[in-house]
Amino acid sequence: MPQFFLNKRLIILLVSIIVLVALIGFSLRERSKLSWPEQFVKDTTGWVQSLVSKPTNYVAGFFENLQDLQNTYEENKELKSRLENLVSLEAQVQELKKDNKDLRDILGEEKTLRDYEPLPATVIGRNPDRWHEMIIIDKGKLNGIKKNMAVVTANGLVGKVKSVTQFSSTVQLLSSTDPKNRISAIVQGKDDVYGLVEGYDNEKKLLMIKAIPSGSNIEKGQMVITSGLSDVFPKGLPIGKVVEVKPDQYGLNLTALVKPGADFYDIKSVIVTKKIMRQPDEKDLTGGKEEGS
Amino acid sequence: MKKFLLPLLFLFLFLLESLFVQYLPAGLFGRNRIVAPHFLFAALLFLTIFVGKKQGIIYAAIFGLLFDIVYIEIIGIYFFLFPLITYLVSKIMQTMQANIFIAFLVSLFGIALLEVGVYEMYRLIHVTTLDFMSFINLRFYPTLIFNAAFIIIVGYPLKRQFEKHAEALRDE
Repeated sequence: MPQFFLNKRLIILLVSIIVLVALIGFSLRERSKLSWPEQFVKDTTGWVQSLVSKPTNYVAGFFENLQDLQNTYEENKELKSRLENLVSLEAQVQELKKDNKDLRDILGEEKTLRDYEPLPATVIGRNPDRWHEMIIIDKGKLNGIKKNMAVVTANGLVGKVKSVTQFSSTVQLLSSTDPKNRISAIVQGKDDVYGLVEGYDNEKKLLMIKAIPSGSNIEKGQMVITSGLSDVFPKGLPIGKVVEVKPDQYGLNLTALVKPGADFYDIKSVIVTKKIMRQPDEKDLTGGKEEGS
Repeated sequence: MKKFLLPLLFLFLFLLESLFVQYLPAGLFGRNRIVAPHFLFAALLFLTIFVGKKQGIIYAAIFGLLFDIVYIEIIGIYFFLFPLITYLVSKIMQTMQANIFIAFLVSLFGIALLEVGVYEMYRLIHVTTLDFMSFINLRFYPTLIFNAAFIIIVGYPLKRQFEKHAEALRDE
């Protein structure tokens, strides 16, 4: 079929499909970091984005303030009612904190899985295609951000760092339906129940916590927090509240639907959490046998 | 200066999409609808229709690649679909007259193709598990209506701008 191969357009199409598959395969594999051309492009656009987003932030902030003014009266009423509870709660927290510290001193443990160093960052962009829910923030490797760090707002966990370049990084939100996007979580009750935040129900706007052992006692309204069992997530970051519990498709585990504390659509500034507790090196884990030899 | 006008315009739309998604109040189009802006692609299609096929495909490839690297982090999706649909649109335009109404319809068709194409690709690589009907209701219609509104607003100024550009090219 010599004529077949002479068809220039067909050959271009075939070649570009091969290139396409290769490129997608290249970018889908587990990558610890982006290649340098990608980093360069992301840094350059990140710089432009931060230039553009600062003035927009001011303008948007101004309109938001106007809106806030409208709701001031009702908000004030609600806040006042909450304030009464707050005083007793504060006293309690103080007491517990002191207790905790004393006990820790006795044990001789200083740092916990909970401690983290907050790194505030501003959102400078968001993925417009809305399939992958990702935001771009203006802090990068030079500010000490690493892959997989937890990202929170004042209301709770929003996601984790997906990739880092020198001056900016990309955060994958919890609402993105990437099967690789898993976070170990605890449902707080009488006994802590462990599960994995995995997936997002786009229609109900609820997070799904899977792999909860069946028979565990989970009720509506219980708080869900991060477990701190992973490499870089601190313990105790709030994720949301349980709304519904149902058995999973095989009936072996439970799935809890959780209403996230943070609003995934209204994120202007975030805090990246840098866990302080040192991770044990591989050397420590192997029992130190190799050290002597 | 005139040389940089076109790249700057596309760069501006490229950034505008991200800003738009970031600052858009979530409930504006209803909680259960996803609206994706395709400002950049609409402008690219207008460029193809009013300036030329070659220019359109080159710009589509460059900005598709940029889009993939910066926003998606999977290289190949828009890098492939932008030029492909641009090419198809230029083929369609060979049989039609380049007036504003036809341009509106054809670029809307292009955006619809892009949405479906991206959806099918994401299904293939398991980025999404949405079934086709939910995709149509949740995302396809709202996105199309929104982008139609955008094209109606900016269509005429864009056409004027690109026709000026095409004339300048011819004079050279």
